[in-house]
Amino acid sequence: MTNDGLDPLIHAPARLRVMVTLAALGEHDTLSFTRLQDMLDLTAGNLITHLRRLEDAGYLRTEKSGNGSASLTSVMLTHRGRAALQAYKATLRDLMSGL
Amino acid sequence: MNATPNTDNGRYADDDGALDPRTAAQMIEETAMRARRQFDPASPLAALLGAGVFLFGYGAVWLSIRDQHVYTGPAGWSVALLYGLIAVAAIVGAVVSRRASTGVGGRARRQMRAAAAATLAAGVGAWMVQGALRYLGVSFRIVYGVYGPTVPLIALAAAGAGYAAAREKWPELGLGIAVIIIAAASTFFGPRGAWGLTGVGCAVALVIYAAAVTARLRRPIPASA
Repeated sequence: MTNDGLDPLIHAPARLRVMVTLAALGEHDTLSFTRLQDMLDLTAGNLITHLRRLEDAGYLRTEKSGNGSASLTSVMLTHRGRAALQAYKATLRDLMSGL
Repeated sequence: MNATPNTDNGRYADDDGALDPRTAAQMIEETAMRARRQFDPASPLAALLGAGVFLFGYGAVWLSIRDQHVYTGPAGWSVALLYGLIAVAAIVGAVVSRRASTGVGGRARRQMRAAAAATLAAGVGAWMVQGALRYLGVSFRIVYGVYGPTVPLIALAAAGAGYAAAREKWPELGLGIAVIIIAAASTFFGPRGAWGLTGVGCAVALVIYAAAVTARLRRPIPASA
């Protein structure tokens, strides 16, 4: 089976799990970096790399609050990210139905 | 890539483009279900504990007043048991809720805080009216025997049901409405009915709710959803 039409930014295990996990929250909800890391069982460096790629594509937004050791990084899926995930799922469904 | 391979997440390779569409679909389903379980503050175990509070706490009070031809109030041991069980359930509920909401911010957190404030106001208001009724000379039997076990519960359930309706959480809405109906109906049967029927009825409602939540948490989420 080919991966034609599947968004390559989402079509990678870690990034797919990031997107699906964030999509489980409501719109305008944020998730802390540490909780996301804990849920996905990824190293901080690995997660940062994937988040940066998704953020560069406009699929998610990161926000920092507080200073120093009390700083908190939160992540949220953007409308564009939600739409991209829906499109990815639709393409996946088409690929699967073609089997 | 550095995906830690010590969980089932490690089954999936982490190289770009190395993902088979079938595996991707499976990963979406599993990740979505896991996220739903972790974010959902509803806990079947906490609901069953709540059922125990009603069955044994309200049941203990009912047991201590059931032979009173003239209402003199529940025995101290039964009230202590009731409040002890309520305290345990409140602690468990807080832990479960905190675990689900840790790290979650934005609109969900604001909604939870607003709902908590509304629920607290509803409970405090109902308990203040109870005090006022006693102050105004309404009988001990009505204030503590009928009003006490039912009206604050109705107020709390109404606040919870409103929040559930706004979030389209149907099992929670059903539970809230059931508690309101059970508690309201039981007031027609005096103190024994108020404690006994509310206790048994709410315990049954919570067991049904626990089953509904279990089904919700286990329901598969298709990759295309």
